[in-house]
Amino acid sequence: MADVLRASGGRREELRAPSSAWRRHREWITPTLLLAPGLILFLLIIVIPTLQSFRLSLYDWDGLGPQTWVGLGNYRELISDPQFITSLRNNVIWLVLFMIAPVGGLVLALLVNQRIRGIRLAKSLFFMPLVLAPVTVGVVYTWFYDPTFGMTALIFQAFGATAPAILSDPQLVTFGIVAAALWPQIAFCMVLFLAGLNNLDEDVLGAGRVDGARGFLMFWHVVLPQLRAASFIALTVTVIGALRSFDLIAIMTQGGPYGSSSVLAYQMYEQAIFSYRMGYAAAIATVLFAVMAVFITWYLMRVVRAERSRDR
Amino acid sequence: MSDVPFRATSRRTLLKSLMAGVGAVAIGGGMGPAFAEDRTLVINTNIGGEGQRKLMAQFIDEFTKETGIKVQQNAMDHEGYKTAIRNFLVANPPDVCLWFSGDRMRAFVNRGLFDDISDLWAKEGWADKVGALTTTVTVDGKQYGVPTGASFWGIWARKDYLEKYAGGKEPQTWDELVAFGDKMVADGISPFAIGTKDLWPTAAWFDYLNLRINGYDFHMQLMAGDASYEDPKLDAVFDKWQELIDKKFFIPNHTSYDWQGAVPFLLQGKAGMYLMGQFLTRNIPAGDLDNYTYLQFPVIDAAVPVAEEFPVDSMHIPSGAKNKDLARQFLTFFYQPERLALWVEPEGNIPTRSDVPALKKDWLLEKGQAILKSAKSASQYYDRDTDPDMAQIGMNGFQQFMADPSSRKQVQARLEQTRQRIFKKD
Repeated sequence: MADVLRASGGRREELRAPSSAWRRHREWITPTLLLAPGLILFLLIIVIPTLQSFRLSLYDWDGLGPQTWVGLGNYRELISDPQFITSLRNNVIWLVLFMIAPVGGLVLALLVNQRIRGIRLAKSLFFMPLVLAPVTVGVVYTWFYDPTFGMTALIFQAFGATAPAILSDPQLVTFGIVAAALWPQIAFCMVLFLAGLNNLDEDVLGAGRVDGARGFLMFWHVVLPQLRAASFIALTVTVIGALRSFDLIAIMTQGGPYGSSSVLAYQMYEQAIFSYRMGYAAAIATVLFAVMAVFITWYLMRVVRAERSRDR
Repeated sequence: MSDVPFRATSRRTLLKSLMAGVGAVAIGGGMGPAFAEDRTLVINTNIGGEGQRKLMAQFIDEFTKETGIKVQQNAMDHEGYKTAIRNFLVANPPDVCLWFSGDRMRAFVNRGLFDDISDLWAKEGWADKVGALTTTVTVDGKQYGVPTGASFWGIWARKDYLEKYAGGKEPQTWDELVAFGDKMVADGISPFAIGTKDLWPTAAWFDYLNLRINGYDFHMQLMAGDASYEDPKLDAVFDKWQELIDKKFFIPNHTSYDWQGAVPFLLQGKAGMYLMGQFLTRNIPAGDLDNYTYLQFPVIDAAVPVAEEFPVDSMHIPSGAKNKDLARQFLTFFYQPERLALWVEPEGNIPTRSDVPALKKDWLLEKGQAILKSAKSASQYYDRDTDPDMAQIGMNGFQQFMADPSSRKQVQARLEQTRQRIFKKD
């Protein structure tokens, strides 16, 4: 055994000597090789289809026959399409209302972060919607809102009133769906903040206490600054979640009544899947991408800046 | 110590055999079609109901046992299939696929995606057995598939309410229907259940009102994009429809329910009728079925020949199929009267061959056949008769009109604008 080892050891040294080319280049070869699988997949699955989708948005195509060049025709039609305006408006409503999630999540996290008997149970109950599939959440809320047989109907009837048909009212419907979507989203933000609260620096807290900070002052000046990373992630995840909202709309209303609860993502799906207008759907996708790009740029800039300051 | 060399060899042999394996797969893949016995028949299906899904599996088993041909079934979900078929017919065509006859089929025939099987029709003498339904799979005198089963439409009605509010007499004219409904409204009951969240249930109302008021020919012109959605002829259609809406003939908040979600209104007696296909029978508990009957949509204008909704499903061989001979063998195997009898049973469909034996006496099927016998012509349903893009926007408009009748002019204008865009007409 020892002979074998020595023999092979000797051979390895021999092999090593001429490979100085490797030694000279391994600084960049190693990271390149390690990154390659991920980058290739990213290129194949994200970048190329995105570019293809841009291209498609300049054509009229039913998914089957020839593609006809229409230039910016799809975008011109979009601007005058009342459904597009409705969807865009609903996207804004989603974005604004979804900001409740980080705030609500933080409040809940502070609430369940106490040392009280049975708080673990409360924690897991708040955590529950996160475990449910979005489809389940949608179905449960649809039943909840049912104006004849649902729980809202029962509650209103108990007071002798008629329940509003939330999912049938063009003014209310988006709010109804956002409420359903907020349920798991708040839970998600709560989990993020709970993790952040676990990592609070005891020394800083102690120092704050020595300086007489307590209650809200303590929270605002000592705790919250330490939750910056968690808040940033919660905000990012919430914005992206609001922009790509689709599943609950598909389950609860299919964009209805008459398109009043549609958002860009759902309208794109509807145009591609039901109306076979691939070019028009691609144009909607491009607009959605542009909206998201604004936020993604902001996010990347912050991440890069944070990394630079850490390097220094 | 001694197992080191052993492991080394084993690793080497493993590697070698792996390489050999890869090579074999590569060669085998290239030579696949050369082995005739190894061919597998590929069938793409979109079956929604449990009963037919089991039957398809059973037929495939029998087919393999009888012929020794292996069959691979790609069972897809009903809605997703509508998009997938446009992809797989071009990119990866199966040997056999299920689809809808009529205009939906014609779209693919015109693109050369379905195979002409007129010779098979002639050889098997199907034209004599299928009769008038042959037209549903015929384009320019050639057959491009076989019709497998048909749904029919009418009004489901509660017998107890017919007894109570119509003296047991089934309404046959529009006025009788309205009078029947008026009495129910007076008693706090909605005459009609409908779930418009699905959009398509609205189209049954549009189709029937248009067929009864303006007749089949005008309706089909409209479906083909040759008539305007602002045509004054449609005023009568929307007038009649609005009459029902204004009188609160439909359940409140119908946009909150899909078509199945509206069924409890009928079952609980909150609604008295439901304009729906025969397939609603699956949603009524077997013990309660005795309390329901099926009415033909009433006559509105006696001068207009009666037309009915009659969507026909079908089976086709794509032009790009790799095993067309096997596909024809399967089609012939499937299209036997005994198998077709089993096939139409679970959904309560009307069989498409005249020589299909009746498995059991079924009052609903008899009603359906009577309804169809009285019809001079048949449409296939709004979303099958017109362009899919038009259908989507059209049914959205009908939903809006039903929820808010004051939007009528606006809806008509939007549909007309869409028609001009899609059919490139002015």
